[in-house]
Amino acid sequence: MRHQFSYTAPTELTDLLTLLETVGPGARLLAGGTDLLVNIRNGLVKPNTVVDVKRIPEAHAIMSDNTKGLRIGWAVTINDILRNSDIASSYQLLQTCAHDLASYQVRNRATVVGNIVNASPCSDMAPALLCLDASVEIASSKAYRTVPVRQFFTGVKRTVLKPDEMVIGITIPIQSKGAKGKYRKLKRIQGHDLGIIGVAVARVGDSLRIAVSSAAPTPVATGALPLDITDSEALAAVDALISPISDVRCTKEYRRFMVSEFTRRLLAEVRS
Amino acid sequence: MYENNDPRTLAYVGKSVLRKDTSEKLTGTATYVSDMVLPGMLYAQVKKSPHARARIVKVDISKAKALAGVRAVLTGDDLDYRIGLYIVDKNILAKGEVRHYGEAVAAVAATSLEIARKAVDLIDVEYEVMQPVLNHMDALKTDAVLVHPDLGSYEFIEAAFTPVPKTNIANWTKLRKGDVEAGFAEAAYVVEREYDNPSVQHVPMETHVAIVRWGARDKVTIWSSAQSPFTVRNLFCHTFALPLGNVRVIVPAVGGGFGGKAGIHLEPLVACLSKKAGGLPVKLQASREEEFSLLPCRSALTYRIKTGVAEDGRIIAQKMEMFWDAGAYADYAVNVTRASGYSASGPYEIPNAWVDAYTVYTNKPYGTAYRGFGHVEFHWGVERHMELVARTIGMDPLEFRRRNALHPGSITLTGEKITSHTGDVVACMEAVARSIGYGKLTAAEKNRELATGRKIGKGIALLQKAPAMPSNTATAAVIKMNGDGSVTVNIGLTEIGQGSTTALAQIVAERLGFDIGKVHVMVDKDTESDPYDWQTVASKGLIMSGNACILACEDLLRRGYAVASHVLKACVEDLAHDGENVYVRHDTENCIPWRSIAIGYAYPDGKGIGGPLIGVGSYIAQGLSNLDKETGQGKPALDWTFGAHGIICEVDPVTGEYAVRKVASAFDVGKVVNPALLRGQIVGGMIQGLGTATCEGYIYDDAGHLLNPSFTDNKIPTARDLPMEIETIVVENSQIDGPYGARGVAEHPMISVAPALGNAIQSAVDADLAHMPIRFEDVWRAMHDKHPIDNWITKTPAGSCRSDPAARIHTPDAAISP
Amino acid sequence: MRINVTVNGIAYEKDVAENRTLLRFLREDLGLTGTKEGCGAGECGACTVFFNGKTVNSCMVLAVEANEGTIETIEGESSGGMLSRLQEAFDRHHAVQCGFCTAGMIMSARELIHHTPHPTVDQIKEGLEGNFCRCTGYEQIIEAVLDVTGGYTAKEELIHV
Repeated sequence: MRHQFSYTAPTELTDLLTLLETVGPGARLLAGGTDLLVNIRNGLVKPNTVVDVKRIPEAHAIMSDNTKGLRIGWAVTINDILRNSDIASSYQLLQTCAHDLASYQVRNRATVVGNIVNASPCSDMAPALLCLDASVEIASSKAYRTVPVRQFFTGVKRTVLKPDEMVIGITIPIQSKGAKGKYRKLKRIQGHDLGIIGVAVARVGDSLRIAVSSAAPTPVATGALPLDITDSEALAAVDALISPISDVRCTKEYRRFMVSEFTRRLLAEVRS
Repeated sequence: MYENNDPRTLAYVGKSVLRKDTSEKLTGTATYVSDMVLPGMLYAQVKKSPHARARIVKVDISKAKALAGVRAVLTGDDLDYRIGLYIVDKNILAKGEVRHYGEAVAAVAATSLEIARKAVDLIDVEYEVMQPVLNHMDALKTDAVLVHPDLGSYEFIEAAFTPVPKTNIANWTKLRKGDVEAGFAEAAYVVEREYDNPSVQHVPMETHVAIVRWGARDKVTIWSSAQSPFTVRNLFCHTFALPLGNVRVIVPAVGGGFGGKAGIHLEPLVACLSKKAGGLPVKLQASREEEFSLLPCRSALTYRIKTGVAEDGRIIAQKMEMFWDAGAYADYAVNVTRASGYSASGPYEIPNAWVDAYTVYTNKPYGTAYRGFGHVEFHWGVERHMELVARTIGMDPLEFRRRNALHPGSITLTGEKITSHTGDVVACMEAVARSIGYGKLTAAEKNRELATGRKIGKGIALLQKAPAMPSNTATAAVIKMNGDGSVTVNIGLTEIGQGSTTALAQIVAERLGFDIGKVHVMVDKDTESDPYDWQTVASKGLIMSGNACILACEDLLRRGYAVASHVLKACVEDLAHDGENVYVRHDTENCIPWRSIAIGYAYPDGKGIGGPLIGVGSYIAQGLSNLDKETGQGKPALDWTFGAHGIICEVDPVTGEYAVRKVASAFDVGKVVNPALLRGQIVGGMIQGLGTATCEGYIYDDAGHLLNPSFTDNKIPTARDLPMEIETIVVENSQIDGPYGARGVAEHPMISVAPALGNAIQSAVDADLAHMPIRFEDVWRAMHDKHPIDNWITKTPAGSCRSDPAARIHTPDAAISP
Repeated sequence: MRINVTVNGIAYEKDVAENRTLLRFLREDLGLTGTKEGCGAGECGACTVFFNGKTVNSCMVLAVEANEGTIETIEGESSGGMLSRLQEAFDRHHAVQCGFCTAGMIMSARELIHHTPHPTVDQIKEGLEGNFCRCTGYEQIIEAVLDVTGGYTAKEELIHV
C-alpha cells in the first residue's frame, strides 16, 4: 500500500462507535477489505485510520429466529452465508446471489454488510436483500436507526450513512422466510467477474419481487408485484427502474435487452 | 537426426516422463527473479505518461532527489541510448515526447519500494498534450500525425525490413507469386472481406522483473525473467557499446513468457539506474497494471483478403493485405509482419498470390512477440474467410478446405515445395472433424437443442506455422560427464514452463542409453557458462536444441569410446555401451564402467589417460534463405507444423450467450516426445486461444487512455472457462531432420481456436462475425443485424463501448497508479 | 505495530507498518517467497494462503490483521522433505509448468478438499476459480485433484491417428 494510515481493532462495539465519532471522516472501516484495500492500493481512498471491525464477537453472528426473521452481523462473510443451514432452508435467495460473488478466496473475506456499504451498482448481494425486504441497522455513538435497504443506496457508491455511522446488521423480516428466488448474473466469462447485469426474481409470500443490479446508478427493485402479473407488465415495471449505461463491459442497448430477457426467463422459472 | 525407431525400442522418447523441475516449484523453493534480494539492493519505480501523445515540456525531479533514501533519479534527457531489435526507434526513457499511454518518462531507485513510490509521486511532469493517432487505418492517411517523424534516420536491419520514411509505416513486407490480376480475371467467383483483432496481453503470471548491477569497469550483471538471455546480452551490449564479455545475463526460474519476455525490456533502464546509483544492484518489478501498458502487448490487426476461386472450388488467386497496429515502437512487430507475410494464406495452396503486410505506428502501447507471432491474429481472418468463400460458392467448408489444403507437391507462398514428410494438415482436419461429428447433429444433440432451446454449432479451422527466425539461427549443447557416470547438460534454451528441461533430458537419456535419473539438464541459465542459443521462441527449441543434444551425445560417446578402446585394448568399432559400462561387443566381460573414465582414467600402475568427458554439439538451421524483398520468395521455414481445431458450441439464439461444449485439437508433431507434456502444451495453448477468442482485448478511449489496465476488465480464462470436453489428437509424420522425428508445437495450439469458434457460432445461429473477441454482445448484434461495436477504440457513442460521460468519469491518474 | 503471528507452526514476533500487506510480510519480512504476487489486487490467486484456517488472497489482507493469527503457506505443505499427497499428484499429472501459480493453486486445492472431500469436476473448477493459470489450461490440475480425492479415471494422454 502506498498510503500510510494507523490501524486499530476495537474489541467492543461501544468503543468502535466512540472511535467513529472522534475520527469520523478520516476513518475507514475494514471488514473483508476486498473493496477498501483495493481502493487504498489504487489511491482512490486515503484514510488516516483503518478501523478493523472484525475483533468484536457479535460481528460474526447469524441469527435466525422464528419471530424476528434473520439477522446478519456486520462481519459475516459471503462464505459464512453459503455455509449456514438456516439460510439454506429459509432464505435461499441469499445463497443464490452469494454463490456468484467473486471467487472462493474473496468470499472468505468479503462481507454482506461491506458489499452494500460499498454500494456498487454491480452489488451481488443487493438484489437478494431488496427482494427479501431487508432492513439495514445503522448505529452511531449517539443514535440507532433502521433503514429499508431500498432506501439505503443514494447513488453510485453512495449511501445514507453519515461519517460517524456504521452498519451493524442486516435484518430480513420473518415475512420473507421461505421465499424462493432465482438470480442470473451476466458475466464476460464463466469464471469470476463483476456483473454486467444481474436480475433476481423472488416469490415472497404471495407476491413477486424483481431486483436488478448493474443497470442503474444503484441496485434497484420493484415493489411487491401480484403473482399473476403479466410478463409485459412486469417487464415494463423493471424497464422503468433501470437506466443502463454503455461502458467498457457492455452497451446500454444490450444491458437493457438482457435485463428484460433475464426477467422474462426468471419469471417463468419462479412461477413454474 | 531422425532414425527409423520402432517405438517399442525407445526407452524414454514417447513416454510421459515426469518433469525434472517440479520439486522446487511444488514446494515454493524455486527462485524467480521476483523472489531475489541482493545485498544493498535498491528498488526502482517508474513515472509513466498519462497521455497517449504529448510533448514533455518539463520534468522536475528536485523533490524526488531530495527525498531521503533516493539514490538515483533519471529522465529521458539523462540518457543518450537507443534501442530496437530491428528498427532502433526507442529511447530508454521518453525524450522530448511521449508516444503512448503508460510510457516511462522518469525512473527512481531508492532504498525501499515505499520510498521509490513516494519519489515517483514527487516527480512533476509538465506535458503539452497533443492529438494522438490511435487507429492504424487512420495512421495510414496522408495527413496523419506522424508517430516517428524521423523514421528515415533510424538504424534498421536492411536485409529484412523496409520502413517508409515520412509515414507511419515501420515496415512493408511484400510477396508476389504468379499473377493475381490474371488469376482474378480467370476466377468464377471473387470474394473479399476484412477481419479485425484487438491488442491483447500475454499475462504471464510473473510480471516482467529485472535486477541489474552495473559494476566497476563496466562489468554488468543482469538477472531477468527472460526468454532469451543471449538476446538480452547482445542487444544490451549493442545499445551501450560494450564488449559481450562485459555483460552476464542470468535467468533463474521464469514465471511464464508467451513471447512477452522474448526480447529486451526493463533491463536497460534498470542498468542505467544502477550505474547512476554508483553500481548498487537495482530491482524493478512491473505491477500488473504496468504489465498491461508499460510493457508491450500483441499488435492489433486488420486483415483484408480477396480470393478468386474456380468453378470447382480451387483457389486461383488471393490478394492479402495486412495492417498491423504495432503501437508506438517497432520492437518485434516488424518481424511479426514479415513472418506473417510469408505465411499469410494459412495452409492452402495459392497459385497466384499477392501480399502487402504493413507495420503501422500508432500512439498506443506497442506490440512485441506473442505466442504464434502473428499467426493467431491472421488465422482469424484466413479461416473465417475460407468459410465465407465456401459458403459463397455453395460448397461444404470441409470439402473446400480439403480441395485447397497443402499436400505433398504443393508450392507454398514463398515457393517452397511440400513433401511427404512436411506434415499433413488434412489428416489433422479429418481427425477433428470426426471427433466433433462435423456437419451433422447426433440424435442426442438434436434432443438437447429441443430441450434447452439453444442451438448447437460445429466449426473447424486449420493452421500452420514455421519458426520465424533468421536463416542462420543456431544453438549448441554441452554434456559433461560427472565422476559417478551421470551427465549434466548445459543448453541456452530457457525453461519458461514449456518443459524443455524434461524433453531434452529424455532425448539425451535416449541417445546415450543412460537411465534418465542420471541425466541432469540445468534449469538456470547463465550466458557466462551456457552455450549460445538464439532465443526461446518460435517453437524451434525442441527441434534445434534436441538436435544439438543428440550431436553432443554422439560427441561424448566418441570421446568415451576413444579412451575405452585404449583401456580395453580393442578397436573403437568393436565397442558398445549401456548405461553403466563400455564393453567389447564380442567379449562383453571386457568392459570398463563409465565412472572410471568420466573424469580421466588411471591405469593400475597409476598412469593417467583421457580426461573429463565433455560432448559438444552445435546445430544450425540448414538450407534456409532470406526472402527476396520484392517477391517474398525464398526458404524461410525450418519446419512446418500443421494442425486443426474442431469446436462444438451451444448458442442462445435470443441473447447470443454461448458455451463451448467440446474442443478437439490435432497437430502433426512428427514424433511425440512426452505425451503428458505435449497435452499440457496443447490444452494450455488452446485455452489461451479461447481467451483471445472470447474475452481478451485492449479497450481505449478516444484520447488513447487504456480503459482496462487490470484484471478487473481485462479478463483471462479461469478453471471454470474450460470446454466440457477436450480431445488432444496427434498425427506423426516424421520430421526427418528432427530429433527422433519430432517437430515443434509450442505456439500452434493457440492458433485458429478463434476462427473455429467463429465458424461454430455461425453454424449454430448464422451470426457472421468478422472481428474478435467474440463476446456475447457481439453474437447478439450479429444475429440481429445490429451495428457491431468498436472493440478497441471507442469513437462514437452510437453502437460503441464508449463511457457514458454522466455515469463514468475517467481519471488518468487513477487508471495508471500504482 | 508489533504483531505475533504463527506461520507454518513457527511463532514470529515482528514490527510491521500498518499498511504492509500480509503477502509482503510473508515474502519480505519472513523470507517465505513461495507465495507469489500476480496482481496485488485480489484477482489472480497467486498469493493464496490459509489465514486462520481459511484461504484468502494475502495481497488484500493487512499483516496487522494477522496479529495473534495463524498462517499456512506452501512452505508448510511438505513435511520432513516429503511431498504431500497433493503435491505428488500435481507432479504425477504434469499440473506444473512455469510454477508461478502452483503455490496458490495447491492452497486452494487443499481448502477445497477439506470442505468437499470428493469433489466433482465442476466443484473443482469452482474451487480453483480464483487461481489463474496461463500455462496449463487447468485440465491436468483438475486431474491431480481428482486423483487425490479418488475421482480420477486414467485415460490416454493423446489420441493417435
